[in-house]
Amino acid sequence: MADTVIQAEELVKRYGRRTVLDGLSFSAPAGALIGIVGENGAGKSTLLKILAGALRPTHGQVRIHGSLGYCPQQVILNESLTVAQHLDYFRAAYHLADTVYADALIERLAYGQYRATPVGALSGGTQQKLNLTLALMHRPSVLLLDEPYQGFDWETYLRFWGLASELRSQGCCVVVISHLLFDQQRFDAIYQLRQGRLHPQTVAAADITNATGSAALQEVH
Amino acid sequence: MLQTYLTTARYALVEQLRNRFALGLLIVFVPLWDWLIGALIANGSVGFKLQSTGQLFQVNGHDVTLLTAGFNAITLIVAFMIFAAARKNAGFDRRLVQAGLPQPVAIAAKVTAIVVMAALVALYATLILILFWRPASLTACVAIWLAYLLAALSYGALGLLLGVVVSSELAGFFLIIMISLMDTFLQAPVENPLANKDFLAAFPAYGPMQIAVSGGFGHGIAAASLLLSLAWFAGFGLLGLFIFWWRTRAWHSQRLAHAA
Repeated sequence: MADTVIQAEELVKRYGRRTVLDGLSFSAPAGALIGIVGENGAGKSTLLKILAGALRPTHGQVRIHGSLGYCPQQVILNESLTVAQHLDYFRAAYHLADTVYADALIERLAYGQYRATPVGALSGGTQQKLNLTLALMHRPSVLLLDEPYQGFDWETYLRFWGLASELRSQGCCVVVISHLLFDQQRFDAIYQLRQGRLHPQTVAAADITNATGSAALQEVH
Repeated sequence: MLQTYLTTARYALVEQLRNRFALGLLIVFVPLWDWLIGALIANGSVGFKLQSTGQLFQVNGHDVTLLTAGFNAITLIVAFMIFAAARKNAGFDRRLVQAGLPQPVAIAAKVTAIVVMAALVALYATLILILFWRPASLTACVAIWLAYLLAALSYGALGLLLGVVVSSELAGFFLIIMISLMDTFLQAPVENPLANKDFLAAFPAYGPMQIAVSGGFGHGIAAASLLLSLAWFAGFGLLGLFIFWWRTRAWHSQRLAHAA
């Protein structure tokens, strides 16, 4: 088995008297594609923020081996800056020499024509593509994605999975959190976040959710 | 590190220059306000107490009110500019720091944006002022620019502080308007029963007003006024930057581990 690149031990998160995470433990190796599913309010975003280091757990610890990429559920961009300026800004933040890979990602996600457009003038879907690009552009060892394909059209959704597979084959551990995981056969493992802990999801349950999810997607697109 | 700082500072300034509403306000409001105040207040002698000597000296009420109008306009505009950017980009700044942007670099870029914008706005306000009142010498003009710069720095830092602590945009704008109005109105000596009272020294615009009047009317600049003005800038700035640092820090080190 490949080396563990992300490891969470006994995570507890309380907001006042409400316990959101209750002794949650989780680990994943390099090159794994992990899905975490949970109902609304189950604590998915809280878990991802803790894994990303953006939120402190009440107890427990998280170890990330290597670099981390984090794509938050809500797009976090600067409306005044253009797409190209975002890439340059994050190139500096990640201490990268250039934006060659980021430029390739833009072409892969098919929004190169908006390079000089201020983000405030972009559609929600294109903003989401940039949001994702900023999380990927430094080729992280661990990639945490919170509802990553919200706002994507069908073509972009497929391109996203192409990228995710490529990253996995390059040894990146990809963790996708969503209230509903489509195409569950793509994942190496799926966990359900319930009552503050992760429960491995059975294949049968995955198939049922997958069938429902695919149907829903077909209707939309 | 230098390259990272230059990139970060550049985008902090690009963002300020894209705030078209604030720039429009600056271009239109400063001359309009100077013209209006200049037209309303007639020439006439008024006493102004200098911090350096403790003595009252007589100045033209029209000219000194123009200085006050400038303070009022630039403190509002600079505080608004910095507040709007700090509040809007709280999440974006946190994301950049999470991505690896060193916090000292992010902080240095914020300070750079405040200093550059304050210097430019102060220069513009000084040039506009000269259209309505010609100080006696170039030195006097430089003293007025310095006074405007110091006021703009303090209010830029106040904008940053409010941007990181106030959750509502409306609340922040109201606070800026109320603080600026009260502060600059109290310092004006014309038809102000509280003028020249000692307690005025406890307000942010006191030091800049002392420098503007003293330097602008050829009486030199007191070091105490300079230090007092810088203390307000440092006080607001350090508090705002500390909260910014606290909010953007990550719970792990070197991307290797984070723990409670």
